[in-house]
Amino acid sequence: MSISQLLAQYGEEYLAALLTTWKLTAICFLAAFVIGILITVMRVSPIRPLRIFAELYVQIFRNIPGASLLILLVYALPYLNILLSYFICVTIAASLIPAAFCSEYLMAGINTIAPGQIEAARSLGMTFSQTIRRVVIPQALRSSVLPLTNLLTATMLTTALASQVPMNPLDLAGLVSHINTHAVGGVMAFLISAALYCATAVVIGQIGTRIDQKVRILR
Amino acid sequence: MSSVRISARDMLYEEPGPKAKRRIRIVTGISLAALAALAAAVIHRFYITGQLDPRYWSFFARGTTWTFLGKGLLGTMEAALMAGVLAFAAGFFLMLGRISSIRLLRGLCIALIEFTRGVPTLLFIYFFFLVIPQFGIQMDAFWKISIPVAISACGVVAEVLRSGVNAVPKGQTEAALSLGMRGRSVFLKVVFPQAIRFVIPALIAELVIVVKDTTFAYVVNFPDLMQNAKVLISNYDALLSVYLVVAVIYIVINYLLNRLSDRIAAKQKKPAERRA
Repeated sequence: MSISQLLAQYGEEYLAALLTTWKLTAICFLAAFVIGILITVMRVSPIRPLRIFAELYVQIFRNIPGASLLILLVYALPYLNILLSYFICVTIAASLIPAAFCSEYLMAGINTIAPGQIEAARSLGMTFSQTIRRVVIPQALRSSVLPLTNLLTATMLTTALASQVPMNPLDLAGLVSHINTHAVGGVMAFLISAALYCATAVVIGQIGTRIDQKVRILR
Repeated sequence: MSSVRISARDMLYEEPGPKAKRRIRIVTGISLAALAALAAAVIHRFYITGQLDPRYWSFFARGTTWTFLGKGLLGTMEAALMAGVLAFAAGFFLMLGRISSIRLLRGLCIALIEFTRGVPTLLFIYFFFLVIPQFGIQMDAFWKISIPVAISACGVVAEVLRSGVNAVPKGQTEAALSLGMRGRSVFLKVVFPQAIRFVIPALIAELVIVVKDTTFAYVVNFPDLMQNAKVLISNYDALLSVYLVVAVIYIVINYLLNRLSDRIAAKQKKPAERRA
């Protein structure tokens, strides 16, 4: 099929698919960010069981393949009488995995702060929560802009998992597989989706670099 | 974790006083109880739905189960290794183009690198699984999984290699040139061998992503770990236990690869720090 034929026949589907991918990416990234912060707080807390739990979480979800996790959620959970919609399954899978990486980046961000700064904050009489809120978190966030940008792109790529389950509306990857199983979509059907993914990734990267240049701490 | 260097993480709070100690003890107790309750709830869930029944787990005691899973694992490893080798070769040439002085070639390579990094692996797999056959090209399932996985990894490999090349001090090139070596052999014999040593940890980390991506081999019906798990499931009618065990196998493999990467990175760092 030529590009004009494809767009005439599937134009609306492509738009809907792009919006689905964006929506999934946004939801999953936010969820991953929140879980990532929670896990990071546990990892730096003095409560040992929570530390161990959080480390275990990170090791499991850093290393599990997305397909494996999605299959467990979609096909294995019903055996435990837990029935979730396909959309929820994809959202959970594409949130839990990036959350582990998010925590890794935040930990790296915390570790860029010189111990002397915390000593200084302590000797100024700041309490623990003041030190965390006014010294640690602002700096850790500022030095994790680029990793978090990469995480947003990685989250978008992870949401392509949605194409492995019947979704309505389809996401960008699912649409390519849909078009090619129902018609001869050819290279073009693939290229349109690929270009949309790529354009999103490039825009995310540009915005991230811009923010990073503004807030980066020069050392 | 084994680093002796004091990081900000260890500095967040000093040795707690008696009051704080008591509070920590109380919260530790509460969190232990909460985690125990969580574990109990999970096990209870398994129990009331009958998933703890021995018939779902007993076949893991048989050798044949493990040889079958092992065969699948071998398939996964073969595909992942082939994808890794292909990605390395393609990444090497992309990196050469990326640092070349010819503007057109450089632009083309930047575009290719960005393209492979911005498109999900599954989309490349659909391309090889659904689009290529439309042109009447027959391909083995092995290639249908290892080529797309390699494509989606090669851009990252190129960037990793480039960061390694940039990390080699300029003086190395200057010294080699002043010894009368030519540009190409300076790069191949002096710069690149050092660059590759710098980036071995990052390359192993990328191999983890390759192993994860080969999980999609079931899409193209390649007999990998996931595909063989499916056969086991239909043989023993035990879906949950098999998929759980398979997930654990993947996690352990990737965990070990990550550990290896960290260890090499730590080893490389030590002499550098000593010198500094």
